[in-house]
Amino acid sequence: MQLQYFLLLAAALFCIGIYGLITSRNAVRVLMSIEIMLNAVNLNLMAFSNYLDPQTIKGQIFTIFVITIAAAEAAVGLAIVLAIYRNRDTVDMEQFNLLKW
Amino acid sequence: MAHLLLQSVWLIPCYSLLGAALSALWFPGITRRTGPRPAGYVNAIMTFLSFVHAAIALTATWNQPARQILIPWLQVAGLDLTIPIEISSLTVGVIVVVTGLNLLAQIFAIGYMEMDWGWGRLYSLMAVFEAGMTALALCNSLFFSYIILEILTLGTYLIVGIWFNQSLVVTGARDAFLTKRIGDLFLLMGVIALLPITGTWNFSELAEWAKTAEVDQGVITLIGLALIAGPMGKCAQFPLHLWLDEAMEGPVPASILRNSVVVATGAWVLVKLEPVLSLSPVVLSTMMVIGSISAIGGSLIALAQIDIKRAFSYLVTAYMGIVFIAISAQQTEAALLIVLTHALSMALMMMSSGAVVWNSITQDVTQLGGLWARRPVSGLALVVATLGLIALPPFGSFWSMLKLADGLQESGHPWLVGVLLIVNALTAFGLTRVFSLVFGGKPKQMSERSPEVHWPMALPMIILSAFTLHLPLILQALSLLPDWASLNKDMALLLTWSSLFGCGLSAAIYLGNYIQKPVQFPIKALQDLVAYDFYTPKLYRNTVVLGVAIISQLTSWIDKYLVDGVVNLFGLATLFSGQSLKYSTSGQSQFYALTILIGVTVLGVFLCWSSLSHMVLVMTASLSHQQFLG
Repeated sequence: MQLQYFLLLAAALFCIGIYGLITSRNAVRVLMSIEIMLNAVNLNLMAFSNYLDPQTIKGQIFTIFVITIAAAEAAVGLAIVLAIYRNRDTVDMEQFNLLKW
Repeated sequence: MAHLLLQSVWLIPCYSLLGAALSALWFPGITRRTGPRPAGYVNAIMTFLSFVHAAIALTATWNQPARQILIPWLQVAGLDLTIPIEISSLTVGVIVVVTGLNLLAQIFAIGYMEMDWGWGRLYSLMAVFEAGMTALALCNSLFFSYIILEILTLGTYLIVGIWFNQSLVVTGARDAFLTKRIGDLFLLMGVIALLPITGTWNFSELAEWAKTAEVDQGVITLIGLALIAGPMGKCAQFPLHLWLDEAMEGPVPASILRNSVVVATGAWVLVKLEPVLSLSPVVLSTMMVIGSISAIGGSLIALAQIDIKRAFSYLVTAYMGIVFIAISAQQTEAALLIVLTHALSMALMMMSSGAVVWNSITQDVTQLGGLWARRPVSGLALVVATLGLIALPPFGSFWSMLKLADGLQESGHPWLVGVLLIVNALTAFGLTRVFSLVFGGKPKQMSERSPEVHWPMALPMIILSAFTLHLPLILQALSLLPDWASLNKDMALLLTWSSLFGCGLSAAIYLGNYIQKPVQFPIKALQDLVAYDFYTPKLYRNTVVLGVAIISQLTSWIDKYLVDGVVNLFGLATLFSGQSLKYSTSGQSQFYALTILIGVTVLGVFLCWSSLSHMVLVMTASLSHQQFLG
């Protein structure tokens, strides 16, 4: 096992997350894509802390922070989605284009 | 006393200017209750003062050498613009004539302008003219003469345009200004081009310079042509003569002044420039040709006019043409003498026509007639003016024409003597025609009840008639007449016969009953050609005016569409790009995320470009290496 494979996997996961972030029409799936990207970041942090910093494992501390903040962010995100849904009765991202030119 | 007045003769233009300024007090907008008449009285008094001043100064300057007064005006690096004033018997004499004629014209205007409220403007402008002409007579510098000529051009515009609610007045004033202005602008070119060659604008120094000058013929010819272009416009010479015809739309008192003296301002400058002009034979022959064409053309056109004022105004063109001929033949003394005799006769003629028009309303000579019995003063004035203008002994113009004819013959231009004789005969014919139509024959509807004019118009007419009649005596007293022994009797007889022939033929045609009136020339087209002034308005409209109009429309179009268009295009492009680029703000947050991603990717590729390309190189190398090994 090498560091590069972890990094490549994390990068692939990040790209999948970005693809989902940009193309999803459902707002919840957008949030899910963001979670995938955050997990890719976490994978990176873990890999780096394992291979480059096995003594002080700062990366793992970072990962814990990221997970907690991701949870909070997902909560706020879902709350926003719910608030929009209450007003507009839909979670279709293509309907949320009021703030254009 | 006289000496003191001679010393202060430069004050004379200031009197008139003071009068001009004072008349502004009686403009209808300022003095609202008591009417404008005091403006006329003040100006007449001012003119009278100048006249008396000049007349006394003339006695003091008699047989005295000319003296110069220098008035500093402006001195800037390398250019000394000092106003030289020449006080000689000639210049003071000119001032006497100008102020005298202006005094008579102003008294005439008191009568003529009785039913008019615009005295303030008319008299202030007449005073400006008097100031300009006296200053021109005194001023001995080409540069300041040019300045005065330009001011007088502006004055002409204003004085022709006195009654500006008439459309013909407006177009006439426009043409008078523009035509004279074109001439003046050419004159300015000449004036400016002359300075580097001569180093001076002083007329006396120019004459000194011209005696020993050795300049390139081409250069001096061009400068000379420019210098005669100004007086050509001023003196209403062909082809810049239409303005004088249209200037007859102005009031008669102004026409008196213009026809007698204002047009002579150009001739005055030409006389002063004669030494410079005579450096180039081309310039002299051009002047000769222009003068001959104007003289013959003007007197021919005058024959076919039915407007009494226009019938006289073309004679001004003709006589100024004769002055041109005289100057081109270097007969400056004869030229000045003709200007003097012509001024007196022409002023009298305009007064007479003004007097007729004032009471008979129409200016159309074919509608007038039979005035002789009831209008003796006006009729006699016209007779005296005619006698004074054509070469009939013993009256004034005979001597000036004789002097010119003598000089022309001696200087080897015999064909010009022929021109002189033809013009004289044609003028005699034309004047007798006008006299016969207006004063002879039977009264027509417009002239059936035509009383003689009241004293303010009759008095200047009578005084000027007396002066015109006494002119030979005055000339004799000034020893300007040739004595009997040296008189060229052949020439005198020729001139006399030409006058008698013209008068006699005209009287026979228009007073006799042999020919049906109105007289029809056998060739109708020819009669129309001269009656319509050789169609000069059409000529102007189809050449210069058309060219300038097309060019100005073209430049206006270029300005409006090309120059403005290019600048507007930048604004439009900015607007358009703003309008179209705003669609990049699509309102889709996912699209924003995409642009962020693209931005980051591009930036990343850009920053890592060198290492990336290096990596690609290494990879391809290792791939080929593997293939080589494999």
